[in-house]
Amino acid sequence: MDDRKVLLNRVRICDFVLQEIALFLDNNPQNKEALECYQKYLDMQREAREMYVKRYGPLTHTDFAGGNRWNWIDGPWPWELDEEA
Amino acid sequence: MWTYDKKLQYPVKISRPNPAMAKVIITQFGGPDGELAASQRYLAQRYSVPYDEVKATLTDIGTEELAHIEMICAIVHQLTRNMTIDEIKKTGFDTYFVDHTTGLYPIAASGIPFSAMYFQSKGDLITDLTEDLAAEQKARTTYDNILRLVDDPDVRDPIKFLREREIVHFQRFGEALRTTQDHLDSKNFYAFNPEFDKRRRRR
Repeated sequence: MDDRKVLLNRVRICDFVLQEIALFLDNNPQNKEALECYQKYLDMQREAREMYVKRYGPLTHTDFAGGNRWNWIDGPWPWELDEEA
Repeated sequence: MWTYDKKLQYPVKISRPNPAMAKVIITQFGGPDGELAASQRYLAQRYSVPYDEVKATLTDIGTEELAHIEMICAIVHQLTRNMTIDEIKKTGFDTYFVDHTTGLYPIAASGIPFSAMYFQSKGDLITDLTEDLAAEQKARTTYDNILRLVDDPDVRDPIKFLREREIVHFQRFGEALRTTQDHLDSKNFYAFNPEFDKRRRRR
């Protein structure tokens, strides 16, 4: 697997854990253990996202980093295989 | 408001196209127990809900279902790449191809187009959450059936992920129903409708 995919998977794993804990917190908003776990993965997610965006471009269009080209349009888009991009 | 994240919730990478399989799996896009119906059900139901925990649950699960639509569409898209006309005819994909070519259109495996009649927004929280619990189980059964029909590990892997999400969502809706009942009259949960009879609401 290339570096881009490894890093994207790191973001994906963090986002998945955050989603999972968020759904639990929705009905257990005072659960201390879940809140701490959410914070821990949020820190990891921010770090992984920042690293990905810096190297491989935006994950949301507000990740725009300046410059004279709108690289938000660059593929592969999520549903594409690399060969299609 | 929603923002788009340029990634799938779980990766989809299918090396072998299989149009016959695509015709079955598309049912989780536009079929009776598919992800489109799921997302619209939860995102429609949430507006009249009086309890914050349940508003959050419907919003967050409804949003996740949008990501599941994208995964199903990615699977169908990748299963229908590089097909020859001969393969299209032989695999039975011709009946889809004639109307949509390889575009994604929400239909059931039987060919029936998506319908809002697949879901309800009843404006009664116990009723709606009970439908939501059933919806998650119906989707889980559909994924079980897809897993009976599919051998390719590239396809089974993301389908297994989606099947597991149905079980997790069922658990979370179970908690939302419990939260709801905690707000209500323990002697008679049906004494009033908390989405309509607001003055009689507790807490």
